[in-house]
Amino acid sequence: MSNSILLTTLSLGAALCAQAGDIHGKVTCKGVRDSANAVVYVAAIPGKTFAAPAAHAKMDQKNLVFIPHVMPVLVGTTVDYLNSDAVLHNVFSPDACCDKFNLGTWPQGQSKSFTFKKECAATLLCKVHPEMEGFVVACPTPYYAVTKADGSFTIANVPDGAYTVKVWHPKLKAASKPVTVAGGTQAAFEIAK
Amino acid sequence: MTPVPNPRRWTILRNLVLLALFLGLAAPASAFPIFARKYQTSCVTCHTVYPKLNAFGEAFRLNGYRMPKETEEQIKQKPVSLGSEAYKKVWPDAVWPNELPGNAPLAMNVKMASIYNSFTDASGAKTVVHNDFQFPQEVNLFAAGTLGENMSFMAELTHAENSDGSSGTEIEHARLGFENLLGPEHAFNIRLGKFAPNLYAGFQEMWLMTDNGVDTMFNYNPVGYKGGVGILDDAAGVVSMPARVRGIEAYGVLNHRFFYTFGVSTKIAPGANDPVSGTNALNSTGSPNGNFNNSTHKDFYVRFDYKFGGMGLDGDTEGVTLPPENWREKSFRVGILALKGNATGVDFLAANVNGLVPDPNDEGGNPYHLQDTSYTRTGLFASWTFSDLNVFGVYLNGKDTLELRTADNLTVVSTDDRTYKAYFVQADYVIAPPFHVSARYERLTPGDTSVQPLKVANFNFTYLAAANLKFMVEYQKTDQSGVGTNKALNTILRAAF
Repeated sequence: MSNSILLTTLSLGAALCAQAGDIHGKVTCKGVRDSANAVVYVAAIPGKTFAAPAAHAKMDQKNLVFIPHVMPVLVGTTVDYLNSDAVLHNVFSPDACCDKFNLGTWPQGQSKSFTFKKECAATLLCKVHPEMEGFVVACPTPYYAVTKADGSFTIANVPDGAYTVKVWHPKLKAASKPVTVAGGTQAAFEIAK
Repeated sequence: MTPVPNPRRWTILRNLVLLALFLGLAAPASAFPIFARKYQTSCVTCHTVYPKLNAFGEAFRLNGYRMPKETEEQIKQKPVSLGSEAYKKVWPDAVWPNELPGNAPLAMNVKMASIYNSFTDASGAKTVVHNDFQFPQEVNLFAAGTLGENMSFMAELTHAENSDGSSGTEIEHARLGFENLLGPEHAFNIRLGKFAPNLYAGFQEMWLMTDNGVDTMFNYNPVGYKGGVGILDDAAGVVSMPARVRGIEAYGVLNHRFFYTFGVSTKIAPGANDPVSGTNALNSTGSPNGNFNNSTHKDFYVRFDYKFGGMGLDGDTEGVTLPPENWREKSFRVGILALKGNATGVDFLAANVNGLVPDPNDEGGNPYHLQDTSYTRTGLFASWTFSDLNVFGVYLNGKDTLELRTADNLTVVSTDDRTYKAYFVQADYVIAPPFHVSARYERLTPGDTSVQPLKVANFNFTYLAAANLKFMVEYQKTDQSGVGTNKALNTILRAAF
């Protein structure tokens, strides 16, 4: 009896594994110092919607830098902007896709929030410190990743199927290509100015 | 009435100025190791032997100190952001973003010279200087770099110690550049400030490996009783073409190979805060040329070039096969240049080769005055590079309308057009990357037809001990029948850091 339960469990597990894999690979960024900070994500899947997560994402302002520098989220996600510095910070975006929001100015230890309701690659700026910049990329699916310095990325738990995979970078031209996921799937991109 | 200056004193003064000139006051400027630091690259990336630019260096210069098709990876010193790029989207609600160089963009050149000089005047009297250690002869402090994507800057402060014991500090360059303002990349750029105009691209400063500059081009004095008689140090106040100008210039490269520039600048004139007239013309000796002179007159200049073969003027290499030795290429560049100006209102005392020319109708015997009311310079430039050999030169024709005026009330006595001609040919050869030789011949036919032509021969051997350290031996013979002969053998050590 216990053997049959074990067999059934293993079979179910194997079947589930066959239905979801990951997309991994490399983005080669030409003309910039390294290949970090490219966002790779699965484009909108026709007929499929994803509920916004209840948990807020967090972006810190520490030592006059947005941390993380680039943060992908699912459309509908609320991002909390924390000021960890002893100086005042502001967060605003000049981009129409997020309604050019401006959250005002607030002191250390406090945070303000903004919800990204549409697909958007939003530049975040601080009026108090013009050199500061960060990016929130609101993606239409929860399948996304940010590249490391060597350009490598892994998007985990992507259901098998045919998708369009897009790449966005703060300084380089965006790119996209069709990718068919069947278990572990490789995808490589090259982007430039 | 102004007393008549002693003609003998004038001759001595003139000879001293000539001597000072021969001793190296007209040396070209040097290289900017700032960029070696910024890109972590050797000086020889841009210079055959500094300051002489190779084709890549010329493209770098014309691109506003940016590499052709520059990428962020090439810049090893990360610049300081003065605003995120995204601020461009919110202008004018915020200041336009820009950048500063990552490190203080400063560099220095130091030049040590040991001088042997022998000057024999027309009477046969000889003045000899043996092994004069001019340590240092010149120190240059440079600042240069880029400010974001469309701006650049360059400044040079030079301190020189002269053979006569005098010394001087001058802002040789201080300019801002605004690049790629209109049209395709490289097509339209602006420079503003004090700079060596692109009118002389290819034969001044950054293109000369020799210690001596081409004085027949830049230091001829066109003002004389019957036209100019020869060259003077530009500090004396009048030059054939201004080595550096205070002005605004546009320039660009079209279709990789066509180069143009045009500009407007302070006119050719002696430097002084007050209008120069009467004996003040003589007293202006020692003032820089072209400084503020309360004049509304301006010089206008224009130049067009085309380069056949080799690397494009913007660094383009498409369809061109170039050898790995970056000073080599097979190319031919040809250009025409012109300058026009007006120095009405600036008085000079009339002199010929023997000294000041007195006005016979003046009771005090004071000299005539002269004004250069209209001048034009037209020239043809060519540069041929064949592997290790680069031969280049300029033919220049000058015309000056000189008004002779009375000594007492400056009434115009006569108006005469005086023309002069000057040319030079220089051959630079790379024996091997550390060893270079150069030979140049210059000839100047002054406007005063009673004066013999000036002939200058210049020979240089350079040992590039390191990319930023060079040792030169240079011999120059200057000969003008009726004036004198000068022979100079200079040994020079120059370091850039």
